[in-house]
Amino acid sequence: MSVDLITREIVQHALAAAGDEMAVALYRTAYSTIVRDCLDYSTSLTNAEGEMIAQGVTIPFHLGAVPSAMETLFKKFGDDINPGDVFILNDPFDGGMHIPDIFIVQPIFWEDRRVAFAVSTAHHLDLGGRLPGSSACDNTEIFQDGFRMPWLKLYREGVADEAIFTLLRANVRLPHLTLGDIYAQLAACHIGERAIHDLIRRYGVETFITCANDSIAYTERLLRAEIASWKDGSSSFTDYMDNDGLGGGPVKIHVTITKKGDGLTADFTGSSPQIRGAMNSTLSFTASVVAMCVRAVAQQDIPNTAGMFKPLTIIAPPGTVVNCVMPAASSMRGVTGFRVGDTVFGALSGLLPDRVLAAGEGGNTLVIIGGQRADESRYIFYELMAGTWGARPDRDGNDGLCNPGNVAANIPIEQAETEYPVRVERYGYVPDTGGAGKYRGGLAIEREWRLLHGEAHLAIRSDRREYAPYGLFGGKSGRGTINILKHEDGDEVLPTMISTSIKAGELIYHRLAGGGGFGDPFARATELVARDCKNGKISMDAARREYGVVVNEKTFEVDEAATAHARGNPPGAS
Amino acid sequence: MTTRIGADVGGTFTDVVLIDDKGAVWTHKVLSSPPNFQQAVLDATGHLLRETNTPGDMVSAVAHGTTVATNAVLEHRGAHTALLTTRGFRDVLELRRIRAPQMYDLFWEKPAPLVERYLRLEVNERMGANGEELEPVDESQVRELAAQLRAENVESVAVCLLHSYAFPQHEKQIGKLLAELLPGVPVSLSHEILPERLEYERTATTVVNAYVRPIMSGYLAELRGGLGAQSIEAPLLIMQSAGGLTPEQDAAVRPVYVLESGPAAGVLAAGFIAGQLGLPNVITLDVGGTTAKASLIEEGRIAYSPEYEVGANLSAGNRLVGGGADRIRAPSIDIAEVGSGGGSIAALDRAGGLRVGPQSAGALPGPACYGRGGVEPTVTDANVVLGYIREGKLANGGVSVDMEAARRAIYDYIAKPLGMDVLTAAEGVHRIANARTMRALRAVSTERGRDPREFVLMGFGGSGPVHAAGLAYELGNRRVIVPPLPGLFSAFGLLVSGVEHHAVRSCLLSGDALNAHALQTIRQELQAQLLTQFQHEGFRADELNLTCAVDVRFLGQASEIRILLDTVMGATAQEWDAAPFTENTIKALYAAFVSEHERLYGHRSDKDNLMQVIAVRVVGRAHSGAGTIDLNTRASSNASGNGNKTRRAYFGARVGVADTPVITRSALSGTMPGPLLIDEYDSTTVVPPQAKAKRDELGNIVIEFA
Repeated sequence: MSVDLITREIVQHALAAAGDEMAVALYRTAYSTIVRDCLDYSTSLTNAEGEMIAQGVTIPFHLGAVPSAMETLFKKFGDDINPGDVFILNDPFDGGMHIPDIFIVQPIFWEDRRVAFAVSTAHHLDLGGRLPGSSACDNTEIFQDGFRMPWLKLYREGVADEAIFTLLRANVRLPHLTLGDIYAQLAACHIGERAIHDLIRRYGVETFITCANDSIAYTERLLRAEIASWKDGSSSFTDYMDNDGLGGGPVKIHVTITKKGDGLTADFTGSSPQIRGAMNSTLSFTASVVAMCVRAVAQQDIPNTAGMFKPLTIIAPPGTVVNCVMPAASSMRGVTGFRVGDTVFGALSGLLPDRVLAAGEGGNTLVIIGGQRADESRYIFYELMAGTWGARPDRDGNDGLCNPGNVAANIPIEQAETEYPVRVERYGYVPDTGGAGKYRGGLAIEREWRLLHGEAHLAIRSDRREYAPYGLFGGKSGRGTINILKHEDGDEVLPTMISTSIKAGELIYHRLAGGGGFGDPFARATELVARDCKNGKISMDAARREYGVVVNEKTFEVDEAATAHARGNPPGAS
Repeated sequence: MTTRIGADVGGTFTDVVLIDDKGAVWTHKVLSSPPNFQQAVLDATGHLLRETNTPGDMVSAVAHGTTVATNAVLEHRGAHTALLTTRGFRDVLELRRIRAPQMYDLFWEKPAPLVERYLRLEVNERMGANGEELEPVDESQVRELAAQLRAENVESVAVCLLHSYAFPQHEKQIGKLLAELLPGVPVSLSHEILPERLEYERTATTVVNAYVRPIMSGYLAELRGGLGAQSIEAPLLIMQSAGGLTPEQDAAVRPVYVLESGPAAGVLAAGFIAGQLGLPNVITLDVGGTTAKASLIEEGRIAYSPEYEVGANLSAGNRLVGGGADRIRAPSIDIAEVGSGGGSIAALDRAGGLRVGPQSAGALPGPACYGRGGVEPTVTDANVVLGYIREGKLANGGVSVDMEAARRAIYDYIAKPLGMDVLTAAEGVHRIANARTMRALRAVSTERGRDPREFVLMGFGGSGPVHAAGLAYELGNRRVIVPPLPGLFSAFGLLVSGVEHHAVRSCLLSGDALNAHALQTIRQELQAQLLTQFQHEGFRADELNLTCAVDVRFLGQASEIRILLDTVMGATAQEWDAAPFTENTIKALYAAFVSEHERLYGHRSDKDNLMQVIAVRVVGRAHSGAGTIDLNTRASSNASGNGNKTRRAYFGARVGVADTPVITRSALSGTMPGPLLIDEYDSTTVVPPQAKAKRDELGNIVIEFA
């Protein structure tokens, strides 16, 4: 059937709005800091065949997870998908991404006909396993990552499978939080169902189905037209993670991007074999990252639907860090995703030099503190620290902004201190950390946490200490990360990835990496350098050394003569 | 003593409405007078007092809506402002919540903070989350910082310390010191501006307050002085973003609550008219000189937002993603706004594309056709060329429209470089302006899954009636309403509102601590606080309506739901004193919360979960005294143009130029087919060829599509 343009546009907007409404319901009813404050979750809607027709404004990296999850769901349940059923999954080897991410999928019916699915994916605070928070870089097999659920029916025709709830309660450290967040995911799916029913009531089921399917084809057409407008060509890039989570390393990510006609291939052959630590990525996650990068360099606004993937071919040999196989651990694979993103952007910069930014902070740092409060209640304080941007072809990197790969937020200090035995003692920019360039990379962020009570487990996932965020076209790298534990005996530099314990009174310091610069630092406008000096974003010393700009330390004005000299073009030399 | 005045200042026009003691409505529209916006207000009030022969001391109230504060933020023209924070946290303002407002935009530029880093200074002090003093205020350091601020010639200071929402002693101490050390420099303390938890939101709100405070207080003082010179000693009341009025003294100190003053009044007026007509679902469209604003009235309720972002491109309060601009945690009417008004400038970009706005010619130099120095073409010039807006004197003779100047501007800047004729170029400008405005309309309707076909579009503002029918046709609304006095509608809205004050207390009550006594104690404190404030402003306790609400969540959640604690809206203080909270209140609260949670999210959460109250809010309202206003009794003389009975107007390539009948609103009788132009004092309503128009018994123009 054909549908008039206005109706089609309304339905497509309404679907996108439904994805957002699901997202709002999820974070507003969630309990863990990782979901309700840091927003590490996503929501989407698919058509009856499981192809995505809308995504809430949440985590772009989750974009590609839905197709492979839905594929295994159909493989397993086939026709046994009925009204009132709700499915649950977190097994990365059954279509999931990593143990902490639970998928809740609810089929949506209209008069006994399946018309759509509501999907929510949330990063859970704890699913058991070796350490509080489940995720640890030095986990070496999936069984240490935590409780593993292949596709199961959580509800069967409206009736909860209490066995699953009982098992979950028994296997996680803070059942009320994990279950509370599962209820939040169910709420999101319920909102999605309500929105789809509203649409069908208003426009009829055939119109809804036509519009939903059209939106996928429309996305594909838009993206193919976008890719076709680029020059044909091929570009390779290599980037690294510092280590494999157990002190070995570095871990290589290599990609060759080939653009031909209206299609694009990303070939990861040459990347590191799957590693011992927990940063192995599934193919679905790797594919999500590629789609995110392509979508980000596209100049048009393209809807977030399954049509995104059709022009893309992803080649990643099984058994590599970008396409892991049993029994690889993967709970900390987020960092690999960020590095895959940096690598793909690096390669795209060879094809589209005026559309790609230098490397940003390299992804979130995770800091997980788990212990007991004075009243003996258990807690897990899960902090996701984000982010800063690399410089861009025509402007500086944003100072202090989440990585384009995930729309994350910070935990308000007043909220953290009210709920956890933790005090945040500093949170701010670090001068001289943004890579120098004609356009400066974003500044690194630092944060300090002091433990106020008892002893606690501490897990940190960070990276980019040795392999700092790269600059482009003459721009310098951003400054690398550091972790310091401050205790009675002084300061101790901790590895980038570590699981350890800390005592009351001790303080953890983390500095994220700064973003890379873009272009020759000596070409940077001198008044911008002076402004950065005045605002304490760079030091006088760095202004002179990195940018060849001499700034008066009282007036913060540029000393033109000294600057011309420092930049090697004294007056008259022309 | 019941003569009341409403004065609305926009970027282009200043509108003043006077309602005399017989309920008759008098109006006057003049060009705004930047940068001394009060001058136009005073000119217009003086004019109306003379015209109605009213002595100034007969005026009982002046209600005022102004964009002075919001423009200062949008244009980064506020005071030279400094921020003092707890040591270690001066970057909280600029880091915000780290979020970006959208996915996939690698060129998005984070807006610059209102206070640059070198003016954000850290104080050695620290309060703990439970009120423990971890480090006292280092007074000698504060003295040094004050000296630094003096040397920087800082004009306004914001102070936001960690945990001051509940434990404000350090902020008070610093406030006292700064009052001594920086005499004459206003200091905004965060616990006085927004006593709520969450350091970024409180900091940003306090900083915006400090940033606009000197401008706002200076403006209000001048306006007060000018009114005094006209013997008007009545209270000057300012419209707040949430739709209630507040005395000038309060607005001068807490201007962040009146930031969205002007737009709020128009929506209130629309709500008033919708109520009269019994219309439940209305999309309001307010097109002024600089911007177009849309909002939603659904099932008779105006949509409110607990927070919004000032300066975001498309501010629409309830949207999921934040980070586009500074977050103001102050209640407001939920309005989506785009830079597309009558004064928006049309220009060709480098690639030869035709663009409209967001730059506006404002009141000065104004559209080319006003002959006040403007040479670039604006949307209004296009509308004049198209024949929609008449030539000659407008708005009581304050402005004269010159068709030739409009044609010349469109020809020189658009038609000639593009090699097209003037009419086609003008129509292009009109349609592009519509496309921009459509973004705001969609933001409140289709993008929230609302079907515009189920809503009536109410168009007002000086340019709203020109564009409303065309937009409605595209959006799919079947009916358009243009109320009486459309160009002065916001000024009218000021007169349907009463004085309103909000008081809030943050808390964390759950389990045994959440009991009737605890809530009653807080409510009594807030009630006393409001009564003191109202009495200070000259109201009696029995004139007030009080409403109490609490912000509730399940223990462990981070987002709250607001639940009204009163079964009857708007009790008096005596009624409250006679009926304190009981354990039944708590039971009813739990039941209401759980059912609202289920209504919103479809589930009740785990049944063992405790409910937690995190804030108690009391709103006090004093009656507006508006009573019934009949807008058709407008008493001012009606300048009805040059007397032509038809005007040549262009309706696109298919219809072409048509000799279009021109009538006045009062001459609209029965149902008349489009095309039709309805000229009146303050605007022109365009009825396109495919529509028909009639006038309802309340004087509204009703346009329907065949």
